[in-house]
Amino acid sequence: MDWSLVLPELIVAGAGIGVLLLDLFLAPEKRRLTGYASLAGLAAAMVASLWLAVAKVDWSLAAGADGSPVAAGFTALGGMIAVDAFSVLLKLLFLAIGLVVVLLGVDFAEKRKLPVGEFFALLLFAVLGMMLMAGSRDLILIYLGLETTAISSYALAGLLKDDLKSGEAALKYFLTGALASALILFGMALVFGGTGSTNVTALLGAGVTTGQLGGAGNPIALTGLVLLVAGFGFKLAAVPFHFWAPDAYEGAPTPVTAFFSVGPKAAAFAVVLRIFGPVLALGGSAGGAGAGGLAGAGVLGVLFAVLAVVTMTVGNLTALAQKNIKRMLAYSSIAHAGYLLVGLAVATPRGFAAMVYYLLAYAAMNLGAFAVVIWLNNRGTGDEVSDYAGLGRRAPVAALAMLVCFLSLIGIPPMAGFFGKFYLFAAAVEANMAWLAVVMVINSAISVGYYYGVVRQMYLAGDAAPAEDHGGAETGAPVPAEATSTVKGTPLVGLALGLAVVAVFALGFLFEPLARLARLAAGGL
Amino acid sequence: MSGFPFLTLVVFAPLLGTLALLMFPKARVESIRWAAAIFSAVPLVLTLVMWVLWGRTPAGAFGMKFAESFSWIPSLGISYSLGTDGISFPLVVLTALMTFVAVVAGWKMIATKERAFFALLLLLETGMMGVFLSLDYILFYVFWEIVLVPMYFLIGIWGGPRREYAALKFFIYTLVGSVIMLIGILALYFLSGTGTFNIMEIAQAAGSIPVAAGRWIFVALFLGFAVKVPVFPFHTWLPDAHVEAPTPISVVLAAVLLKMGTYGFFRVSYPTLPGAAKYFAVAIAALGLINIIYGALTAMAQKDLKKLVAYSSISHMGFVLLGLAAGTQLALSGALFMNISHGLISGMLFLLVGAVYDRTHTRDIAKLSGVYVTLPVIATILAFSLFANLGLPGLAGFVAEFFVLAGTFPVSVLWVALAALGMLVVAGFNLWVMQRVLMGEAKKEYAGLPDATRLEIFTYAPVVALIIALGVAPGLLMRFLNGPALELVQRLGGM
Repeated sequence: MDWSLVLPELIVAGAGIGVLLLDLFLAPEKRRLTGYASLAGLAAAMVASLWLAVAKVDWSLAAGADGSPVAAGFTALGGMIAVDAFSVLLKLLFLAIGLVVVLLGVDFAEKRKLPVGEFFALLLFAVLGMMLMAGSRDLILIYLGLETTAISSYALAGLLKDDLKSGEAALKYFLTGALASALILFGMALVFGGTGSTNVTALLGAGVTTGQLGGAGNPIALTGLVLLVAGFGFKLAAVPFHFWAPDAYEGAPTPVTAFFSVGPKAAAFAVVLRIFGPVLALGGSAGGAGAGGLAGAGVLGVLFAVLAVVTMTVGNLTALAQKNIKRMLAYSSIAHAGYLLVGLAVATPRGFAAMVYYLLAYAAMNLGAFAVVIWLNNRGTGDEVSDYAGLGRRAPVAALAMLVCFLSLIGIPPMAGFFGKFYLFAAAVEANMAWLAVVMVINSAISVGYYYGVVRQMYLAGDAAPAEDHGGAETGAPVPAEATSTVKGTPLVGLALGLAVVAVFALGFLFEPLARLARLAAGGL
Repeated sequence: MSGFPFLTLVVFAPLLGTLALLMFPKARVESIRWAAAIFSAVPLVLTLVMWVLWGRTPAGAFGMKFAESFSWIPSLGISYSLGTDGISFPLVVLTALMTFVAVVAGWKMIATKERAFFALLLLLETGMMGVFLSLDYILFYVFWEIVLVPMYFLIGIWGGPRREYAALKFFIYTLVGSVIMLIGILALYFLSGTGTFNIMEIAQAAGSIPVAAGRWIFVALFLGFAVKVPVFPFHTWLPDAHVEAPTPISVVLAAVLLKMGTYGFFRVSYPTLPGAAKYFAVAIAALGLINIIYGALTAMAQKDLKKLVAYSSISHMGFVLLGLAAGTQLALSGALFMNISHGLISGMLFLLVGAVYDRTHTRDIAKLSGVYVTLPVIATILAFSLFANLGLPGLAGFVAEFFVLAGTFPVSVLWVALAALGMLVVAGFNLWVMQRVLMGEAKKEYAGLPDATRLEIFTYAPVVALIIALGVAPGLLMRFLNGPALELVQRLGGM
């Protein structure tokens, strides 16, 4: 066993334990050091991942089965560990997400009196679980990663111990999460029963694609896969498995909400791509839904298409009614999960590549939006949309950053969100599923309503906000005592925001190389 | 291909202006005004130089001059390709001129948040120029969408009482239209099998697209462009946006933004899908005629001077549709001519309505009368513009309408008769508004108001001069339009 293949995971695990130990020996006022230690750990893991990408992944573009280039990778422990383009790219994404969330969290944790050490340690363990999820082809290890992330997340949601809403968030997240885990475990058991292997590649030869529910082929494995769709539906917050998300997002500490909206969600998408991608693609090329009745992969394809449509539509329509910005962003992230599901419904290499690219773009723009929320929160602005009135004047830089992120979320060029949607559109049109693209279009138009609700407050609404709401620094207006007492400035949040905004533009301008990477990653699933 | 990147500079000089303006301290309003004027003058000067060089510049591939092309996303065949021909170049000059005029007009008309206003106006110019000069669908789309954002804020922040409603309506209408257009573009890309997003190359290869699919794509593109034109029944955003927008923005909206829609027909829909265009010709003619007659009748019913001009725009855009539907060389040249003449005349009208409003603080036609007496210079120029608007021979508007009708005559006498009916109504409301606003007894409360300032005369002069010049010597413009119109006729199968 070549242990260097799991070097990034080892570093993150070590960092998590290190942060817990460090926390024990630090005086309370020095505990923000644990944040810097987490940053160092995540950065080291990124370097290790890059090293793996260069040293262990073969980028020489051998042609895959369907002629698309595939970057060959390594597998170890009988497929438990997969180091390929897909896992390396997603691990880098997860580490970057973790890095940004730590930056967002340091000042917030101090100001809101979170248990700092636990916060960062749990975050690192959650990232570790995500990395295991993306980096394995084995159902057992995927499940272990999933639980590592989930259990850390439940605790993270409840970190605001004095806040009832935070407790509610944790409990709801825990109960639905446990149900989802049970579904996933049951599904995995059936898949194992149907294929005789816990390796996801076994699904390809198991006759799942020709089978019908309750008929010939491999109905047991197929039933297992349908259960997995439901279980992962909870993790992705796909409608109708989404009810926990708004409450969990609203109640959790805001940096944790930022993390939930991109991290575990992206990891769940990674797993879904791993398990379902090849099966769906096989069904697509075999003319799945065509052969009388909904055979095998046809069932799954239709399932994902329905999930995609329902998720984006319900997410967007419900977001329109929200007055709390965290709830609004929660529903917005449900809608974006719906857009991402389009890639699975399309089930072509381009569709999967589009999903990978969209995950990158979505992480950047959503973290950017949350960074603004946290930045303002640290300065005493509330979380209601109406609290943002006149922000364009009070805090022009933050407002502009928020505008950029929202335009990107709507899908206006030249921001990354446009290219993400463009890629998904292209995949859908290419696969003769233009109707899905049309549904996305209608949804994008609906989404303008709520994003612009905030933009309207920031730029068009009069400064109706109460005096204590002033952001301060830019205008030299009086800063509320509460905001100055513990946090002077929040340069770390500013740094995170800057990184996110730069990424929102850079991902757009670097579409060519990134799309190539995404294609390589998706090709090696 | 060789040498100086005229087009890149034309597109991005205003964007540089936007960034430069953001560096200025907010309070230095006078410097901000001058900087905005200078940055908007750069594209104007460049386009004038290009005009001089036009005859001496050899046309490259697809008849494009001053073309530039760099690979951008090679794996999808997306490139940064700019180029201009007889269809786009007059629109580019119009954009440069009217944006400059709008900036100078904004010097005195905009009294709050000047820095943000001019920065957004210049960003808007980059978007508009990019739309007219892009030869790649994705680049085209990027600029098309970039236009939305500054326009939203320009209406939403500096607009009239119902500005938020108007701005959001504008944004949502055009966003839906343009994203449907994007799906059409993607379908073109995959079905043409060229592996490139180059507009001209796809137009060449589009013959391989199945007829039925071609019609669907035509409809998708049509929706995107029709919202911008605007074609009835997608026009309802326009009166709201026009009335609420501040004067300089109304000018740009009427003069340039609407032309993005008609330009789309000439650059994309018709050359690429001539078969579908012919299939839908009667429907498009019908929509055009509805635009002409409905727009004119609605204009006549307006009590608000600005709304009247807005509906008059809808009426005139109907002529462009009619010319496209007729598809003869004369009609197409006339439609292209209408793009420019309407841009000049409607821009002028909005400037003057704004000038009247600034002084009297009303646009209510019933409250205005005897403007000839109170504001003789402004009233005279307004009368001139209204005559141009009704199509007085010798002025630019007449040439366009004449060419469209003369070109439509061999295709359908009925269409011409209906359009002529519309023209009667157009003449009617223009004369009626002159009678009610300019003539009559001077209102006492408006006595002693200052007449046109030197700055205003400076903004009116070039536009008035062009309206006369194009009316007297249409050849100035026709030399650009004839070639593309002829080529389009050939693509349409020599109707």
